Amino acid sequence: MAAKYILKLYITGQTVNSEKAITNLKAVLDTQPKGLCSLEVVDVLKRPQLAEEDKILATPTVMKVSPPPARKIIGDLSDKEKVLSGLGLTVEKKKGQVQHNPAYAKQQKRNTLCESKGAQKWPRN
Amino acid sequence: MAKKLSKVASGIPGFDEISHGGIPQGRTTLISGISGSGKTAFSAQFLYEGIVEFGENGVFVTFEESPRDIIRNTESFGWNIDKLIKENKWAFVDASSDDSNSVEVGQYDLGAFIARIAYAVKKVKAKRVAIDSVSVLFTHYQDPGAIRRGLYELIANLKKSNVTCVMTAERLIEDGEISRYGVEEFVSDNVMLLHSRLNAEGERERTVEILKFRGSTHDSQEAPVLVNAEGMAIYPRLRPALRGKVFSQKISTGIKGLDTLLCGGVYENSTTLITGASGSGKTIAALHFIMEGAKRGEKSLLVEFEESPDQLYRNAKSFGWDLEKYVKNGLVKIVCHYPADLKAEQYLKIIQDMVLTNKIKRVALDSISDFQRIYNERKFRAFVIGLNTFMKMSDVTSILTNTTSQILEVTEIAETHLATTTDNIVILKYVELGGRMHRLISVLKQRGSKHEKDLMEFEVTTETGIEILGPFRDVENLMSGSARRIRRIGEEKAERDFIQEAVAGRI
Repeated sequence: MAAKYILKLYITGQTVNSEKAITNLKAVLDTQPKGLCSLEVVDVLKRPQLAEEDKILATPTVMKVSPPPARKIIGDLSDKEKVLSGLGLTVEKKKGQVQHNPAYAKQQKRNTLCESKGAQKWPRN
Repeated sequence: MAKKLSKVASGIPGFDEISHGGIPQGRTTLISGISGSGKTAFSAQFLYEGIVEFGENGVFVTFEESPRDIIRNTESFGWNIDKLIKENKWAFVDASSDDSNSVEVGQYDLGAFIARIAYAVKKVKAKRVAIDSVSVLFTHYQDPGAIRRGLYELIANLKKSNVTCVMTAERLIEDGEISRYGVEEFVSDNVMLLHSRLNAEGERERTVEILKFRGSTHDSQEAPVLVNAEGMAIYPRLRPALRGKVFSQKISTGIKGLDTLLCGGVYENSTTLITGASGSGKTIAALHFIMEGAKRGEKSLLVEFEESPDQLYRNAKSFGWDLEKYVKNGLVKIVCHYPADLKAEQYLKIIQDMVLTNKIKRVALDSISDFQRIYNERKFRAFVIGLNTFMKMSDVTSILTNTTSQILEVTEIAETHLATTTDNIVILKYVELGGRMHRLISVLKQRGSKHEKDLMEFEVTTETGIEILGPFRDVENLMSGSARRIRRIGEEKAERDFIQEAVAGRI
């Protein structure tokens, strides 16, 4: 299954902030179902043209490329709650149980329903 | 001995003069100004001229306008930035995105920003960088500490790569703090201000002022800035420099009798003010001067604010002078304008360019008082001083005409500052006497030479133009406006007798 969440993390070499951001973001993504999110780490020192294309100024910046709307979270991502809400992900308060945000979950449910029935795709609004 | 700091010529007309060579090389210079003071235009032109004039490629970092907007806005100057981008001479770092949908979580720095600039500099092998305007960073991000550290690092990096950088900053009000958010503390070595103020007449006036270039000289005065069809131009104020060459050679004014009054004409390199009421013959005197130069093969310039070239040709023709011929063969240049068309600085620049490119030796300006109507006293004075200074330094002999408002009244010249800045003063005057208008000419002063003090009567004839008839004696109080014939002994009695005879009906 292709990842539903495509994330890009821009960092600057091996600075303290870069290391922290990678660790923190990975910790957040670990709370999500496997395969839901894909993460690409971009070092602006090695690939500055990508930063130019995405108009990144501050590092670290994590960018939600899809699903829209595109969002950016700037900083070392030390606050897990803020990162999750910033990316539109949620964590169910039950122990270890993870749930996506309601809208996403609903869509997900519809898709599975359609696929299992072999019927045509659910019309998108 | 300390090595003198070198500068990079900006290529912005006039700026390299006031900055004594341009922007400090390999450094960052802060340009601060309120909104609309020309910061973007200045920084863009610094890059553009760098590429076009000096072959130095540039990177433009834009925060406020998108690259597309900048390209479009500068098209009116005839610039083709698109082409320069394709030729890999100009690169944009587009920092204009709005980060309103971003959140800040924890510590960050400006690593990506710095890396992007470094990348662009490397890509086009840039020698010049413009950042417009850095103040936006402070509004985009909540951690001023991170911005400060980032800017320090950026400036250090640019210095390391020996790139000359201009960085603009927003100012909230004129005459307030140098810049919003105290940006000047990062780039304290070189600071310039762009001013934009309303003057007493309600016109917006833009000027540039260099506050400091550490370790290097510059003009400390504010200089006017104008944006014209080719872009921004700075008009350095010319100060009265008493360093023009002094000539002992006299040249003819073209009016024979006047040359005699002046004891052989005017000194080369001198400025002569011809003052008189409307219709007193000033434009003809200016034409005399120009025609005389042309006949001698000297290049001459006539700056005319009252008549069109065709009118001038016709008038000259009526005196038998073929002015048009001299204009066609390039000996005479004519600039005709409505005085209000351009600003004083622009006229000054036109005259300067004309004189320098055509190696002009004679200039007649008719009439300087047209400016007096438009400009306030300070500006008029600066214009006259600037003009005279330039003429002196470029060895030009000049005639300025001045129209006085009254036809018969006292001659007024002293209050206009014209008297002290000109070398020679010639007065043209109407006098009413015995029910007839007489035209008089007189030399009021001539620096460095004696001159005749006589009042001479003259006529304007179709053969010769101004023709001086002879001294106008036996009349007093001419200059005060109440001319009276001086009566000779016996004259009064003869007059009385005449009246008596007339009354008696014998005549």
